[in-house]
Amino acid sequence: MDTSEEEELSSKMAFLEKFMDMDRRWVYLLSWIFVLAPLLYPLGLPIPINQEAIKWYDTIDKIPNGSVVIFAPMYGTSGMPELFPMTVATMRHLWSKDIKVIVVTFWTEGPLVFRTLLTQVDPTSYGKVYGKDWINLGYVPGSETAMSSFGRDIPGTVSSDFIEGKPTTSFPIMANIKTATDIDLIISIETGTPGATEWLRQWQAPFGVPMIVGCIGVSVPGMAPFLQSGQISALLPGLTSSAEYELLLKKPGLAVAGVDAVSMSHLMVVALVILGNIAYFATRGSKGGKK
Amino acid sequence: MSNLLRRIEIPIILTIVFTLVQVIPYYVYIQPLDDAASYIQRWILILVSLSTFVGVISILQVHGKNVSKRSKGWYFSVIVLVFTVVMALVGLPLAEVGLGDKNLVYLFLFNYMLQPLSGTMYAIIAFFIASAAFRAFRARNIEASIVLVAGLLMVMSNAPLFTVFWPPFKTIGTWIFAVPNMATNRAITIGAALGLIALAVRTLMGIERGYLRGGGAEQ
Amino acid sequence: MVDLLAVWTAVFFTLALYSILYKDTAWYRIAESVYLGVAVGYGVSLDLLYVRNQWATGGWATPGVMLGGFIIALVLGVLWYFRFVKQYFYLYRWPLSIIVGTGIGLALRAVIFVQFTDMIKAQAKLNLWIANDMMTTFNNILIFIMVPCVLLYFWFTGAKIRETAPMKVVDKIARYTMMAGFGSAFGYTILTRFSMFIGRAQFLLGITPNPPENMTAFIVLGLLILASMVGYDLFYKKKS
Repeated sequence: MDTSEEEELSSKMAFLEKFMDMDRRWVYLLSWIFVLAPLLYPLGLPIPINQEAIKWYDTIDKIPNGSVVIFAPMYGTSGMPELFPMTVATMRHLWSKDIKVIVVTFWTEGPLVFRTLLTQVDPTSYGKVYGKDWINLGYVPGSETAMSSFGRDIPGTVSSDFIEGKPTTSFPIMANIKTATDIDLIISIETGTPGATEWLRQWQAPFGVPMIVGCIGVSVPGMAPFLQSGQISALLPGLTSSAEYELLLKKPGLAVAGVDAVSMSHLMVVALVILGNIAYFATRGSKGGKK
Repeated sequence: MSNLLRRIEIPIILTIVFTLVQVIPYYVYIQPLDDAASYIQRWILILVSLSTFVGVISILQVHGKNVSKRSKGWYFSVIVLVFTVVMALVGLPLAEVGLGDKNLVYLFLFNYMLQPLSGTMYAIIAFFIASAAFRAFRARNIEASIVLVAGLLMVMSNAPLFTVFWPPFKTIGTWIFAVPNMATNRAITIGAALGLIALAVRTLMGIERGYLRGGGAEQ
Repeated sequence: MVDLLAVWTAVFFTLALYSILYKDTAWYRIAESVYLGVAVGYGVSLDLLYVRNQWATGGWATPGVMLGGFIIALVLGVLWYFRFVKQYFYLYRWPLSIIVGTGIGLALRAVIFVQFTDMIKAQAKLNLWIANDMMTTFNNILIFIMVPCVLLYFWFTGAKIRETAPMKVVDKIARYTMMAGFGSAFGYTILTRFSMFIGRAQFLLGITPNPPENMTAFIVLGLLILASMVGYDLFYKKKS
């Protein structure tokens, strides 16, 4: 190799090393651009509907009329960006059917998250009457102990409802609801503990109540064994699946609005990792050659 | 008398008794024991709720000390103290005097401070992960290459941009989730279950005392 | 007026936390301090509301076992706070050991089924030959091999056996399986974290159902905070 070629190679290597060591704030800036741009100027990419969303939709759609469902928003404000769209979509779906919904949560911020939902979705627009078609039992402290106690004695564990503060047994919906055996399905939207494992231990193992779970992406890998064994009947994993579910319901919302940004941010991550590895191997090769 | 009450055996015996009260009626139906287990579960919820001020007092202790000693950044501790006290006070369930979860100040603090702060705190991690993936995610050996390839394929399968242009990305992502990921997590779940059983047996034997640490010498 | 204040407060705290991406600034420390204070004080309301409701409508006021139990709970509830009194710290351990014992008992009784025997059953039920579905057959065979390998990888008893050739094969299969599993976890972590950021970005841009006024606040406050941080850096650079 002559001197000019060596110099050119040397400058390319220097550039690649500088690229690998660039200030991380440039990566942060790229992240802002790749997320804000598609939100401001939607790309309108098609959203393929996958099996997870179809299974979730079908499971809820096939709930027989007159069934009693526990809807548990088991997350706080930290999980809202990813889970709130699926919470809203699921409640719309439940309220559009002739089933009774009992809302309860074992996370401290759960009731106020649901209160935020009520500012966006009006159950009376579905003809649903509070206390007759649905009820909000609020937060029960105690984590897994609370879930176990709730399964054994529902009106005893939660003696007052969250919205009106009246005795739980005074509402028509709770007339024949005493224990977990009176519940037909659990729908748990969650970010961690307490969550699916606790529901399985305290409700499914002793009482055989089926359940479906919507969760953040980080929790999804851990749900795989329960999904495969049939302990969880359906799983809605993260924002992209929430968008597919919104499309199946024909009510696009925040999830659909955010999918283009999901695509672009993921493209950015893939590109950065691939470029980082190309630079790594190129500089490693040149260092090896110089030896 | 005080020396007797200090003995570590008292909390250990309490732990063992309350564990057995929950476990035995699950396997052997004895009506009074089953009723006792049910009653205790409801009773525990009240006990747990009454511990609500422990966190508040801890914060007041730590940050109060910072303020009184004028330590570095003590003015931030003043902010912590003010907001802790205000939130705890306006949230007290005294609807008769206008306090509680429907109080306007409480709702303002929850909706326009806690909600954005909490959501943002977890959302910041996205930047750190992107930066870490760029700087450290390298195919240095076979194992790292497997993580890299599986990770990238999973990222692509979660983004409609990729799955629309080449649908097999979704199929590959589903396979990774349903086979190697499922196998790994099944083994981890079984291992965790065995670990929990071992921990419970150790606790029942009084060997496991980690939760009792703190506060000075044990008797 | 309150709505305007609410919007600008929420946007300010969001951007103040994001200022950490530039560097650790006073804006970030303020937001962090407010978050800590509000988060700790928040739970008080709902916990005490539960106790109040249980007293009012939960039957605990009934004389006898219920009232006696409630009084005992109140007394034990006071013991929590001896955590802060060095001389009587040992009293704090009593309610703690009751909670821990009950929690362990509740978890222990069902974990054997949910996380052990049901997993073993699902593994045993794997169909290793489905005539007209080779892909599922192949997947089931892989799972059938992978799960025991990963379990054995964490079996540390018998150092001599672990050095044998068959165990080395088991270790290799286990490591490759786990690496693929961790790759999957990475992929989903990216989805979660960016979804959360996207949610906040939708809030800042005022995308429905967020108030459209958010965008104005975002631009104004964003520029002010950025200018203050960059200005501060330039000022100190000039000074030094």
